[in-house]
Amino acid sequence: MNYPSELQYSRDHEWLRMEDGVAVIGISDFAQSELGDVVFVNLPEVCDEATAGEPFGDVESVKAVSDLVCPVTGTVCEVNEELLDAPEKLNEDPYGTWIIKVENVTDTEELLSAEQYEAECTH
Amino acid sequence: MSELKRTQLYETHLAAGATMVDFGGWDMPVQYPSGIVAEHLYTRHFCSLFDVSHMGRLLIEGPERLEFLQHVLSSNVGGLDLYKAQYCIIPDEDGSAIDDAYLYRFEEDRLLLVVNAANTEKDLKHLLPIAEHYAVTVTDITADWASIAVQGPKSKELMTILSGGEAVTEPMKNALNSLMLEGHFARVAKTGYTGEPLGYEVYVKSEDAAWLWNRLCELGARPAGLGARDTLRLEAGMPLYGHEMGLDPDGRPMPIYAVPLAKFAVSFSERKGDYIGRKALEKQYEAFKRIQNRDFSDCTVLPKTIRPITLLERGVMRAGMPVYRNGEQIGWVTSGTMVPYYKAEGEGLETVITDTVEKRAIGSCYIASDVLEDDIVTVDIRGKKVKAVIPARHLDNMAPPFARPILYGVELSKREDTGDALPAKALNLLKKAEDNHLWRQRRCVNLIPSENTPSRAVQMLSASDPSCRYAEHKKVKSFYDKDIFYYQGTGFIDEVEQMAVAELRKYFGCTEVETRVTSGQMANTCTFSALMDWKNRLDRKHTPRRLGYVLNNHIIKGGHLSAQPMGALHDYIAIDPVTERSAVVNFPVCKDNIFKIDVEETKKVLDQYRPELIIFGKSMVIHKEPVAEIRKYVDEQKIPTTIMYDMAHVLGIAGDYFQNPFEEGAEIVTGSTHKTFFGPQRGVVAVNYKEDELKYGLWETIETRAFPGSVSNHHLGTQLGLLMAAYEMNAFKDAYQSAVIRNAKSFARSLKAAGLKVCGDPANDYTETHQVLVSVGYGEGAEIANRLERNNIIVNYQATPDEEGFTASGALRMGVSEMTRFGFGEKEFDALAQLIAACVLRNENVSEDVSRLRAGYTTMRYCFDDKDFEDALEAFAGKIGF
Repeated sequence: MNYPSELQYSRDHEWLRMEDGVAVIGISDFAQSELGDVVFVNLPEVCDEATAGEPFGDVESVKAVSDLVCPVTGTVCEVNEELLDAPEKLNEDPYGTWIIKVENVTDTEELLSAEQYEAECTH
Repeated sequence: MSELKRTQLYETHLAAGATMVDFGGWDMPVQYPSGIVAEHLYTRHFCSLFDVSHMGRLLIEGPERLEFLQHVLSSNVGGLDLYKAQYCIIPDEDGSAIDDAYLYRFEEDRLLLVVNAANTEKDLKHLLPIAEHYAVTVTDITADWASIAVQGPKSKELMTILSGGEAVTEPMKNALNSLMLEGHFARVAKTGYTGEPLGYEVYVKSEDAAWLWNRLCELGARPAGLGARDTLRLEAGMPLYGHEMGLDPDGRPMPIYAVPLAKFAVSFSERKGDYIGRKALEKQYEAFKRIQNRDFSDCTVLPKTIRPITLLERGVMRAGMPVYRNGEQIGWVTSGTMVPYYKAEGEGLETVITDTVEKRAIGSCYIASDVLEDDIVTVDIRGKKVKAVIPARHLDNMAPPFARPILYGVELSKREDTGDALPAKALNLLKKAEDNHLWRQRRCVNLIPSENTPSRAVQMLSASDPSCRYAEHKKVKSFYDKDIFYYQGTGFIDEVEQMAVAELRKYFGCTEVETRVTSGQMANTCTFSALMDWKNRLDRKHTPRRLGYVLNNHIIKGGHLSAQPMGALHDYIAIDPVTERSAVVNFPVCKDNIFKIDVEETKKVLDQYRPELIIFGKSMVIHKEPVAEIRKYVDEQKIPTTIMYDMAHVLGIAGDYFQNPFEEGAEIVTGSTHKTFFGPQRGVVAVNYKEDELKYGLWETIETRAFPGSVSNHHLGTQLGLLMAAYEMNAFKDAYQSAVIRNAKSFARSLKAAGLKVCGDPANDYTETHQVLVSVGYGEGAEIANRLERNNIIVNYQATPDEEGFTASGALRMGVSEMTRFGFGEKEFDALAQLIAACVLRNENVSEDVSRLRAGYTTMRYCFDDKDFEDALEAFAGKIGF
């Protein structure tokens, strides 16, 4: 299992990276492994408001559906539409595959460092 | 919570890195590291292993086992033969399912009922108190045996390695067998829960479980978990208890007839008596029939049914999601997910399964019974209404070795109208017909054993004036059975028919021949119709009784289609009330030669069934039929029966070089006149009854079932051609028949020597007929036959007796009759064998060589070719304008 140190993590297994004030969000290696084969991703639309701690979409694996929980509050400024046709990228490269980007971030959940998140996952 | 139970393979799963979950109280693998999608695809494309040892296995023994099971199961247990399995449901009094199950009869006097793991306790609680009223014991043997499902197109190959080449089971679905797998005892069922046409469920003693699992993995199978098992069964449209059976999302019991499989699983045989749930199921069945006939006036007992459903927009359905039609909720999704498949390209037999993986969101739903196929509905996916459709099915497994995804909305390409003017179209047709004729007659070597080219005289006569005429005629008692014609201008054809009958009587050495039937299939239909009419001749006040039992060759064992319930027997065969299947039983075949009838085993079948009709004859035929042996036996045992020989394929070799059906004791011979015989395409019925015999009445019935029973216009042109063909046959039979048999044997030896796998017995040079069978590898038949066609060699691909059906064909069927007529001898067939070997084994292009070989043999032999005849033929052609 991989926990890149340059990223921050939520307890709901999303990772977050700030790029010029924009929050880039994806799911962790642990999350994709627990989900199994991701077969569909339900994405929000650009300009949708996202709220910290609230779902912004969901990922469907063969087995079940899981909410994607937003670690920040703000406005969705970009969604990764490539995932509509190739949801398996979340399994293949979870850290190289972002899901949404959020701007005008006004609030952020308590986030974990790589070490803290790894400890949570292996707990 | 009590501790989870573990199967015999628990450690094996852990070692393979499986993700384990609680499934009905068992600690089971839901997936392995490769994931559900890969496991699903590997099953469809190669072979997967599923640990199904958790499923409840109940052994039912005791003198009243049958009565007990008839009472507690929905199915007709009395119709379950030894070494067969059947799907069944355990109903409650209200006609809902307590569980669904599979019943296996591996042993004469014990039955194995396999139930869902999570329901085992509930089932036992239901069954045991009832069992107390019967002389029966129900024993839970789940822990004693492990069960591994081996599923996918390669399963047969892998299992056959373990069986040391022995047939794992008969190729038919639900067939069972007990055999040794590399020294380990196993019970094998050709059943499964994946929709795969090739798949087995294998029962081994607990201590052998890990061995079998690991051994199959060594051979290339891969483990698959419950996740893939669920997506596979969902794609196959198979119900899962708790989803498509049991309680609906509102907590109401779902009626058993809501599930499409109920049609097969529920029996109302009288022999089942007043079984549990019968009354409720009868009501459901009435509603089911109304609904199937699109009468939705009363759906109260069956308001909703289980149907497949496919999303037309992005999304994934899950169990419990509401389904709407025009804004009104009509039910729920019962199972749903995204299922992967390999994309296919091309059409029909040329379909190629590519490596490209695609996915589709499919499911099952429990919705209003008046929804029709292709109806559009919407599914509420967490508040979002997503468009969906009710398709016919998600998957089809009738073209083995692959289960094939059926994508919604696929349409086959259609031949577009060229838009040309009709005169241009007419010219084009002529040109194409000419090309085709010259290709098939001059450049191709035709080895289709059911075809022959008639002589020029036969062809010309067939196209002359009678081909435009009618000549209905019938024997009339008032005129001492003189044939009376209805139309004028028929004097010539009357004479022709009488001469044809006389000539064919001579050919067969029999008393009577009917030539008006225009095909071999019609010859059989006419005969079966007459047999049924004859059977009922003394009672015209009741609906006539159909024929049964009938003994014939199974279609998979080479039986002729025309002698099957799906062919000419269709409207004349009875349903056996005990088995609720067609009253047909098949000739057993020799274990060491599956192309040959096993006479000793047949005697046992004769004793048991005492069939009223015995039909010899095959379309895949390399041996004589044991007519004399069976005639002797039925006479000794005084079994009242009629022996018929459908000689369609071998009509032209009837005689001393093959077999004389009437001398050996057949009463009726049917056949087509254009396979090994020299005729145009027609049929014939011959009998050997004498006028003073009781059964001469059967012959007279055959005549009336020919006309007016089968034909009004009996194709007088080819009737004329048939007479010439009969002259040719009677004149050249010795030379032709001996050449055909000699050539077939020689051709077979040459093919063998050239490295091909020739089927049959080397002791008689692989064949006693005009046919030669070559094995080219399981499922490869169609492709190789195509390749040969591109090389100007026309054969047909053929499923051998251990293959599932035509798409799984692993053999080529070839016949030497036509090329023998064109003058091929042993030398030419040897040259041809070399070309076939080059094409089949080394994929060489031999098309030019084949055409060159063919070019030297375009003159028809075994027909009249003296100068007088040739001159007369030319004059005839000139005068009638050919």
